[in-house]
Amino acid sequence: MHLGLDDDELVACVSCGLCLPHCPTFVITGRDTESPRGRIALMRAVQNEGAPVTDDLIRSMETCVQCRGCETACPSAVPFGHLMEGTRAALAEAGRITPRWQRLALRMLRHRRLLLAGSTLLALAIRLRLVPTRRLGLPARMPLRRPPLRTSGDDVWLFTGCVMDAWQRDVHLAVQRVLEAAGAGVEPTGGAAPCCGALHIHAGLEAETKAMARRVMAGLSGDDRPILVDAAGCGASLKDYGHLLGTDEARAFSARVFDVHEWLAERLEELRSRRPVDPLDVTVAVQDPCHLRHVQRAHQAVPAVLGPFVADVVALDDDGLCCGAGGAYSVMEAELSRAIRERKTAAVARSGATVVASANPGCSLHLAAAGLDVRHPLELVDQALSASRS
Amino acid sequence: MLGSHRRGDRSAAVPAADDTDAALIADLVKAIGADRVRADAAARYLASRDASIYKEGNAGPVCYPGSTEDVVACVKVATRHGRAVSPRGAGTGLAGGAAPLGQPVVLSMTRMDKLLEVDLDNGLAWVQPGMVNLDLSRALAPHGVHYAPDPSSQAVCTIGGNLANNSGGPHCLAYGVTSAHVVAVEVVLSDGSVVTLGDITAEPAGYDLRGAFVGSEGMCGIATAVAVRLTRNPPAVCTMLLCFEDVSDAAATVSAIIAAGIVPAAIEMMDQRCVRAIEDFAQAGYPEDAAAVLLVEVDGASGGVAIASERVDGIARRNQAISVRIAADEDERARLWKGRKSAFGAVANVMPDYYLHDTVVPRTRLVEVLERIYEIVDRHDLLVLNVFHAGDGNLHPILAYDSRVPGVVERVHAAGREIIEMSLDMGGALTGEHGIGVEKREYMERMFSAVDLDQQGRLRASFDPYCRMNPGKVLPSAHSCSDIGALRASDAAGVWG
Repeated sequence: MHLGLDDDELVACVSCGLCLPHCPTFVITGRDTESPRGRIALMRAVQNEGAPVTDDLIRSMETCVQCRGCETACPSAVPFGHLMEGTRAALAEAGRITPRWQRLALRMLRHRRLLLAGSTLLALAIRLRLVPTRRLGLPARMPLRRPPLRTSGDDVWLFTGCVMDAWQRDVHLAVQRVLEAAGAGVEPTGGAAPCCGALHIHAGLEAETKAMARRVMAGLSGDDRPILVDAAGCGASLKDYGHLLGTDEARAFSARVFDVHEWLAERLEELRSRRPVDPLDVTVAVQDPCHLRHVQRAHQAVPAVLGPFVADVVALDDDGLCCGAGGAYSVMEAELSRAIRERKTAAVARSGATVVASANPGCSLHLAAAGLDVRHPLELVDQALSASRS
Repeated sequence: MLGSHRRGDRSAAVPAADDTDAALIADLVKAIGADRVRADAAARYLASRDASIYKEGNAGPVCYPGSTEDVVACVKVATRHGRAVSPRGAGTGLAGGAAPLGQPVVLSMTRMDKLLEVDLDNGLAWVQPGMVNLDLSRALAPHGVHYAPDPSSQAVCTIGGNLANNSGGPHCLAYGVTSAHVVAVEVVLSDGSVVTLGDITAEPAGYDLRGAFVGSEGMCGIATAVAVRLTRNPPAVCTMLLCFEDVSDAAATVSAIIAAGIVPAAIEMMDQRCVRAIEDFAQAGYPEDAAAVLLVEVDGASGGVAIASERVDGIARRNQAISVRIAADEDERARLWKGRKSAFGAVANVMPDYYLHDTVVPRTRLVEVLERIYEIVDRHDLLVLNVFHAGDGNLHPILAYDSRVPGVVERVHAAGREIIEMSLDMGGALTGEHGIGVEKREYMERMFSAVDLDQQGRLRASFDPYCRMNPGKVLPSAHSCSDIGALRASDAAGVWG
């Protein structure tokens, strides 16, 4: 089976193994089949040597969290993310991964009203204890009503996305208040850009993702306002449109995308100078979402922005190893996902922090389900700002 | 088995790629549990290789033992089925030492990765063989000690693999290689018995069997626990980057430093092509225009370090160094070392494949040897990146190539052979730290006499009379015991074997 992978990208791995300690699934299983080096060797065996695509080989690909921690560890800069996305696209195309029910569920993310209505129903069902939230990795409580999104100016877009807008709109509103405190007029994207397609590309649905990317770009065209994103996974996905679509237009679009912390870090003085702020009396551990650290490589902006607003910010000592959330991974590979999470919760415990700041909704839900007090970094900033406001 | 919730019983009834293995697999599963055995094609394919270019390995079922008892059980089952056993750590070896020959039962030691005991009174720690080298030093950090041998792959490679290859590393110049840091080893022998070689409290009576075991490349038994010596962290460290316009000036500096009676903790050399390959990744400020750089580290008491670093500085300048930079802080030091230690992995920035050699030459002949290497490589129209432990003359010429180009692999092998023979002619040795494996096996006769090799074969047979432990390695077949009898004919039908 030809996986459609770029030959030069595929041969770039020299099997040195420096990725192994940065791969969450290898660290847990100790098996080459669950390592980046092993997965690449299997891709090569299939594409170049005609090896059959066995169930075990598919498991090897499905167990990858797509955290891309291997990419920042690789001295030869092997683009593992592209290789894995390409492999999954070929496997999905052949009907070997991503079953029909999963495709239907992912399709729903594109339909904003349906998603919001569905989320409200789900929230209701959770309150009535009709849904086993723990087993499904869902939050123990979800909002029944969402305060409306509002536009306060046209300096920047705030990308609101799909699930995050439905489940964590409070975070968007907090982020918007912080941006406004830094002097920016904000327009939430809302229905103009329903979903970035990150989960779709992870599941190998390439054509669908491309269509979604075009829709998002069309919705946010007409000016060159920065597009700020408060979900690391969505930010990484939007920044990759240039590669995904391969057009100048897409590359120009991607250049407008910033993680919200990345943007604020440049405007920290602005944010701090408005009024004196009392830092919140908490010690916060910063969890680096993989798609902020390994893909966008912008994770250092989070402690920079958060620092002035809380008593203490501590880094975790696990070299940015993935928490196991991985978008839909925590549901699809629940057992492995939880084993990976245990290492993260142990690192949080070692840090002595009482609050964890996570700049990605998937990580945040996943870690909260393990009983941690998880907030978006800008929720904490907003809290500090509003405390000094009163 | 992790992740098996959806296909739970599949792992228990793993379909063997080779149906005749069904009974063997069933017995292994019975002995150590279904979640510790993999026999599918993908797992075996990946267990058949290490980081070298040797791709002819052929693994049988792969086991992931969690304890000494598991290892004993696997060895006994394998023996009962007439199969050999090959151990495997992180698979970072560069000589095919972990490439299994003849479908043996592969013991992947990655799950035996615990620090068992820190014994500060005796200055040692007991560790399991699957523990990663760097993880060990990190775990020891609170005690102010570390494990001294630091192979470039230390962030990945395991103590068991280090033990098997008697691995070195940049800091082995001052501290000695693995053998100097292993006090005792618990070993499972080929008959399933468990013995301890060496003694943690006293010099053991009789032959130094521990010494014979270290570096035996898995052919004398499977290590299941290792007592390693702890080294106190030096109170002061100074890391210096010396840059040269000429490779021979760098080499002359190395000799002059040693001649001056200074023993730095490390002296590493990289040539320009190597520096260019790593700098993008490491961002350590390596100068891409220098013909060669030396990374010199001196450590010890702070007064001594200051004096030694000043002397190194002076020697370098007298040997035409164009710049001398001293790492200002721990971060800069870490980045410089990160660059050096990513050299092999960074080769794909230049070419997608590489063939690495590991010869050792007398330090006094470094300049001459380097010139010969460049000449050989030019003649074969290849690229070479030189990165090596200059202080002890341990060369690592990396022949970088693209195996998709027709004919290039033959040229690489021809150039490699010439480099090895030239090194031996200069009075050097075949390997400094990567081992012989299968890859350098054929060169053993070039280095040792038939009598030497027969003796080595006999030593091995005294540990493993039936040659069931990692057979086919190191010794050319004529000097090895009945290895070939233990090897099954390879059924290399198709990629999945």
